[in-house]
Amino acid sequence: MRRLRVGVLIVLVLLMLLVPQLGGDYYVHVFALVFTNVILAASLRPSLTCGQLNIGHSAFMSVGAYASALLAKNLAVSFEVSMLCGALLAAVVGLVIGYPSLRLRGVYFAMVTVAFVEVIRLIAQLWVPLTRGMSGLSGIPKPNLLGVTLVTKASQYYLALFLMLLTLLILWKLESSRLGLIWKSIGMADNLAQSLGVNIANHKLLAFLLGCFFAGVAGAFYAHFIRFLFPPEFGFLMATNILVYNYVGGRGHFAGPIVGAAFLSLLSEPFRGSAYETIFFSIAMLLTILFLPGGLITLPGKLAELRGWKSASAHSPSPAA
Amino acid sequence: MEERIRSQSEPRGVSSALLLETHGLTRHFGGLAAVNRVDLRVAEGEIVGLIGPNGAGKTTCFNLLSGFIRPTAGTIRFHGEDISRLRPHQVVKRGLVRTFQLTTLFQELTGLENVLLGLHLHSRRSLGRALFSRRRFPPDEVARSREVLEFTGLASQADQLARNLPHGHQRVLGIAMALAARPRLLLLDEPVTGMNLDESGRVMALVKTIRDRGVTVLLVEHNMKAVMGTCERIVVLNFGQTLAEGSPAEVSTNAKVIEAYLGAGLAHARG
Ligand SMILES: Nc1ncnc2c1ncn2[C@@H]1O[C@H](COP(=O)(O)OP(=O)(O)OP(=O)(O)O)[C@@H](O)[C@H]1O
Ligand SMILES: [Mg+2]
Repeated sequence: MRRLRVGVLIVLVLLMLLVPQLGGDYYVHVFALVFTNVILAASLRPSLTCGQLNIGHSAFMSVGAYASALLAKNLAVSFEVSMLCGALLAAVVGLVIGYPSLRLRGVYFAMVTVAFVEVIRLIAQLWVPLTRGMSGLSGIPKPNLLGVTLVTKASQYYLALFLMLLTLLILWKLESSRLGLIWKSIGMADNLAQSLGVNIANHKLLAFLLGCFFAGVAGAFYAHFIRFLFPPEFGFLMATNILVYNYVGGRGHFAGPIVGAAFLSLLSEPFRGSAYETIFFSIAMLLTILFLPGGLITLPGKLAELRGWKSASAHSPSPAA
Repeated sequence: MEERIRSQSEPRGVSSALLLETHGLTRHFGGLAAVNRVDLRVAEGEIVGLIGPNGAGKTTCFNLLSGFIRPTAGTIRFHGEDISRLRPHQVVKRGLVRTFQLTTLFQELTGLENVLLGLHLHSRRSLGRALFSRRRFPPDEVARSREVLEFTGLASQADQLARNLPHGHQRVLGIAMALAARPRLLLLDEPVTGMNLDESGRVMALVKTIRDRGVTVLLVEHNMKAVMGTCERIVVLNFGQTLAEGSPAEVSTNAKVIEAYLGAGLAHARG
């Protein structure tokens, strides 16, 4: 089973490496954005695992995006530095908002994060001298990595792939360590975790800041890839989408948000930016809640169960009372 | 667990160093004084029972002692240190560990993982270790957790999900997790509730063994047989106040105590 999984993973990575060769620029573009969404979705997971409903993840992407874009544009900073600065700034902003609201639970924490999305959007919108406000920030340089400008879409695609794989590797290592177990334990019974000596405030904060950091990474890539930033893009809609990736993909396993983000962003591609996007995501969420509460990752198990049940009933046709 | 246990295996009863001492401990909920000027003293090596009718304030006492809620007035001293303003994880660090009245476990984790989390304070951990170690848990921590499971009679349940364990084993797992945190003082909130005679007998024997290994125990329990057979000293609470205190024999013949329990019984009978 483990062998099979590793095999599937290797094939998937190989396929992803071949996308620029097999598909055209369109696919390269679409998949690079899928990778960004995967980073966003996976980085929300630690916080969700701790039982914190964060509906403001897009705000931290926005911070990373604007910071990296402005550094590169105004100060000609190279991508690796501007990205790191953007991600760190996102984490610092996360600290400012996260620290005081840590004691809030459930809906109250969610409300703070929602409000925060609006605050960041308004700042981006109103701080015109810096961000150009509603005219949008344009002229963002292409990613300049270690002195080399990534000119082609394909090379930028590989950058996105690398960032995604690195992010996933780090998040996976953390989740499968004792730290991940502590996050789970806080989500399951925070009073019990406390009674065993876990400083739940610190652990929730760490999970939250980790998410902010990687949302900043995603934002930085996005900024230098699309090369145009527009404040409303990072609004409530994107924040809820990131959450929906997690729920539709499934909360029970690390692969959940990855599957959810890949599946939904590919399927919703035709509607991207249109009014139908919201409808699409709402329907996806609704269908999941109704038919697959554990998310897409539970689908194979469900199917196997169904098949087993069918073959069992075929063998013993006598209906049990 | 072992170190602390061995270092304190001096004969009990002889050393009567005060481990826990509350002074005028009070907690109001609105107009209700759930705990009202309680002076509680527990000496090292004792098994003390805290009993009283439903709503007497026993669990509230535990919540105060373990830092889950703050006292309205009064102080809590543990090993001479004032701990009444500490947060739960800080209280645990000092060796005061509690269990819960309602079965509280990490339901979706295995027995072993539950106990491993009990070791939380005593594990070496860092971000670097999390990122670069290939093992999830150091072997010595796993070994120690298995030891605790063995000690509590749950060895065969190590790999079961907590939610699939029978009720009795779930309650014991709660105790095992608390033990993994290496308590000096263990607070047990109704450890044998919902158990049959056989199970409750085994748990009370376990409690005695725990004490014999050097852990002081303060326990809340409605099962009088269990309390009388295990505790050396009993404190009776009623309406948040200390009603009586003494040996099991003294308490069970105390007129005020009998009246409190009968009164509660009558109130129950009337609905
Ligand atoms: N968080 C709270 N808010 C308001 N009232 C509370 C709270 N916790 C406890 N109480 C009240 O305080 C009183 C004491 O409750 P407590 O749970 O300590 O009783 P107990 O002795 O543990 O009872 P039982 O034997 O039924 O467990 C009760 O009247 C209860 O309703
Ligand atoms: Mg109680």
